[in-house]
Amino acid sequence: MGTARYILRRLIFSAFLVVGVSVILFSMINAIGNPVEILLAERPGMTEEVIEAVSQYYGLHGTVVDRYFAWAWAVLRFDFGTSIIYNQPVSEMLVLYGMETLKIQLPAILIALMLAVTISTVAATRQYSRVDFGVISGAMLGHSLPGFFVGIILILVFSYWLGILPSYGAYSTRNPLMGSPALDALWHMVLPVGMLVFFNTATLTLLMRASLVEVLRQDFITAARASGLPERRVVFGHALRNAFIPVLTYLGILFGLMLGTAPVTETVFTWPGLGALYIMAIQQLDYPLIMGETMVITFMLVGATLLTDIAYVLIDPRIRLG
Amino acid sequence: MPSTLVSAADPPPAAAAPPAPLLRVEELRVHFHTRDGVVRAVDGVDYAVAPGETLGIVGESGSGKTVSSLATLGLVPPPARTAGGRILFEGEDLLRAPPRRMASIRGRRIAMIFQNPATSLNPILSVGAQLGEILTWHEKASRRDAEARVAELLRLVGITDAAARLRQYPHELSGGMKQRVGIARALLCNPALVLADEPTTALDVTIQAQILDLLADLQSRFGMAMVLVTHDMGVVARMAGRITVMYAGRVCETADARTIFAAPRHPYTRALLESMPRVDRAYAKGARAPLPTIPGRPPNLLNPPSGCRFHDRCPEAVAECRRVLPLETEIAPGHTVSCIRHGSAGIPA
Amino acid sequence: MDTQVAPSPAAVPEALPTRPVRPPGLWRQGWYRFRRNKGGMLGLALVTMVVVVALLCPFIAPYAPNDQDAMLRGASRAAPSLQHLLGTDRNGYDVLSRVLYGAPTALAVGLGAMLIASVVGVLVGGIAGYAGGLVDEALMRFTEFFMVIPVFVVILAVVRLFGIVVVGTALEDVPNLNLMTIIVLLGLFEWPPIARMARAEFLRLKNAEFVEAATCIGVTRRGIILRHILPNALPSLIVLVALGIGGAILAETMVSFLGFGDPKAVSWGQLLYFNYEALKVAPWASLAPGGAIFLTVLGFNLLADGLTDAFNPRLRG
Repeated sequence: MGTARYILRRLIFSAFLVVGVSVILFSMINAIGNPVEILLAERPGMTEEVIEAVSQYYGLHGTVVDRYFAWAWAVLRFDFGTSIIYNQPVSEMLVLYGMETLKIQLPAILIALMLAVTISTVAATRQYSRVDFGVISGAMLGHSLPGFFVGIILILVFSYWLGILPSYGAYSTRNPLMGSPALDALWHMVLPVGMLVFFNTATLTLLMRASLVEVLRQDFITAARASGLPERRVVFGHALRNAFIPVLTYLGILFGLMLGTAPVTETVFTWPGLGALYIMAIQQLDYPLIMGETMVITFMLVGATLLTDIAYVLIDPRIRLG
Repeated sequence: MPSTLVSAADPPPAAAAPPAPLLRVEELRVHFHTRDGVVRAVDGVDYAVAPGETLGIVGESGSGKTVSSLATLGLVPPPARTAGGRILFEGEDLLRAPPRRMASIRGRRIAMIFQNPATSLNPILSVGAQLGEILTWHEKASRRDAEARVAELLRLVGITDAAARLRQYPHELSGGMKQRVGIARALLCNPALVLADEPTTALDVTIQAQILDLLADLQSRFGMAMVLVTHDMGVVARMAGRITVMYAGRVCETADARTIFAAPRHPYTRALLESMPRVDRAYAKGARAPLPTIPGRPPNLLNPPSGCRFHDRCPEAVAECRRVLPLETEIAPGHTVSCIRHGSAGIPA
Repeated sequence: MDTQVAPSPAAVPEALPTRPVRPPGLWRQGWYRFRRNKGGMLGLALVTMVVVVALLCPFIAPYAPNDQDAMLRGASRAAPSLQHLLGTDRNGYDVLSRVLYGAPTALAVGLGAMLIASVVGVLVGGIAGYAGGLVDEALMRFTEFFMVIPVFVVILAVVRLFGIVVVGTALEDVPNLNLMTIIVLLGLFEWPPIARMARAEFLRLKNAEFVEAATCIGVTRRGIILRHILPNALPSLIVLVALGIGGAILAETMVSFLGFGDPKAVSWGQLLYFNYEALKVAPWASLAPGGAIFLTVLGFNLLADGLTDAFNPRLRG
């Protein structure tokens, strides 16, 4: 009962967030003056007529409020307009590039989660041992290493020195690996995913291990052992489940972090994803593309936060009814 | 020092040698290896429990009473390590039993009731799930059978509407109810021995009495032995047949309850009893008749006093107390004391 | 016979001190515990090293950061040698010197951003925690809003757009305007975690008994906040600030790496931006600043970890 209401409240708030961001974004862009003028003024050969025509095309007349609602209405129908630079519908581009971004981000988070749970379980159950100390040190180092720096090193080692992995792009332009485009795509994914996994695993391990250690100290764990349950059952059935809760909330943040730093990740590997697209859009001042991408990214982040909130409520019974 | 605090369940004073003990702890030592040194939490402790009997272990915080219970089940957490002694349960030394054997004994033959009901239940599992799991594990019961038995036990410990409670979570229950669940959990497999670690300390005073009554009732019904660890003399007065008094990791005195209250010998036992406020005495401010306390502070177990651990706070201490470690000596059938001023032998500290 | 001995001398201090001895306060206790944490001490050492380098870089750097002599000599992109301990980069600059000069920039970014973030965060969180009710709700929603915005993405956009707006105005000539913009923006986005912590601490301390006691003896509300609540909230906040400094430095690095940084500023991120293209031929020019960033961020993270331990001691084996 209380759960449904809570979820509803979060949904409404999330929607409100998205709208809020859109308003701010729109105002920001418009505050710096007529966007078209600014965009086109930098291009050679622009005349008054052309500017006028483009303005009409993009519906840039009328008050800011009018323009906002026109744009918002279009967005709701998943129509972000047409990219000025690429002359393609923005929504199409977003889907294409979005797929590429998710292609490396989702597997990275999943693999990192599995690794982190394994490693942290091993470490936490051997607290104070050398293994534990090693894991903490390693995770701390990995967490402090700038992610993209790891990427640079990976490229240096595996691409330039060892030559076994490609250093850029998502696909080979000619001669896909062993003649298979699918295999080729996977081959290209290794390094970017590897870099993301590195950072994510380190952070998640630190968090999970600390949480697990804390849980293992609790009375109910001793009580479970006192009831004769085997250690494996106690750790996996009781301790891990409790310890996972704070980690779950962090997953949403982590996804946001990954997505937010996608521009950097994709620049390092020249990966054709949303991040790289965004940089190009900003540098070229492709106004529809900027707006569209920012909205989509915001939407994904809000969605991730919402999902983690919901999952948290569903998993921890203490929150459900209170 | 006459005492009217006597348990209704105590055995006749001049008991013959007690029946073969169900549990016998011999020379138990448990040491914590910390960064600052070795803490001798339990340093040479002996006690025994006969089948069906209730042994009360009394002491201040830090006396080692809880640690010795945990050691019985092999549950002392690192950095602690058992450093010596034997724990004989039905003749078998638990300290040397393989992990598989211990797992089969825990919860099944020996069960434990924990002090803080709020933290001794898994918050994210329902009551039925947590307790049912134990049955499924020990007795290979099916889920339905397990549920039925758990409900039966919940009713037994006085929880109304047991079927509904099965689906509830710990945080939905009151403190008293949670402790009843804890008791039910201990009794699931009908153990021969229950270790109750301060089962009422965390509860309201009004609930304490109810829980103690419940425990006494269950014990008379099922005949299990019980080790009741507490710092509250009132609790042991009500529940215990025999009492062991511990201080700073060692045993001071062991006797049946009546003797402990009526004719204690060890100075610490006497001081404990004296420091209990009594309704039939008048206390006043100032030096006239203040509530007696034990001077000084509990010892630092990293560096305990030499010789008798209590000598620096003892009103009867003499110079030799510092030099000699008293041994538990039987001064009367069923009554042992470790104080050289009351008949104990001793070894040089 | 046996002589009666009074409660042992151990229970009574040998000579009563003439003045009551004050037990060590919160900070000194924390320091003692901190000293025992090796990770924290290492972090402190690293951070101190960075600070020292930042302060002394004009004196210890072998070359000026903009010294292009090497390029004129045709020695750009040279491997590390005795003359250039970390080699030279694409423009012939000495890598070591540039890395050293990057330290003050990094610190300025970290400290500047966190200063802004702390002020905003403590204000928002403190008011929310102390006032409670609707104010709390509203402020926390506001905080959540900031946490959901794709920070990095927005910073890129704002930097770019701000750069355009400023062209042709008086602001254009302000030195390092770009860098300052970045610092301000980072601060404006790093405050939510601090606000959340401040709110939690204020909530917890507001109801503490010693606060009640202080109110009873007539301490004013402002006195309570400033002299009682705030000092007790500081330890947790300091940890977050330490973490945030590392995070801010990292963020600026990434912004610069993508080309949105301040081209006139000597920052590690800028170094990476200039030299990434030459990664294959002159890896040292990218590895050196990367390593510097790593050590700095590691230092702050370890420091934060050590501080957490120091103020929340737990039984360690």
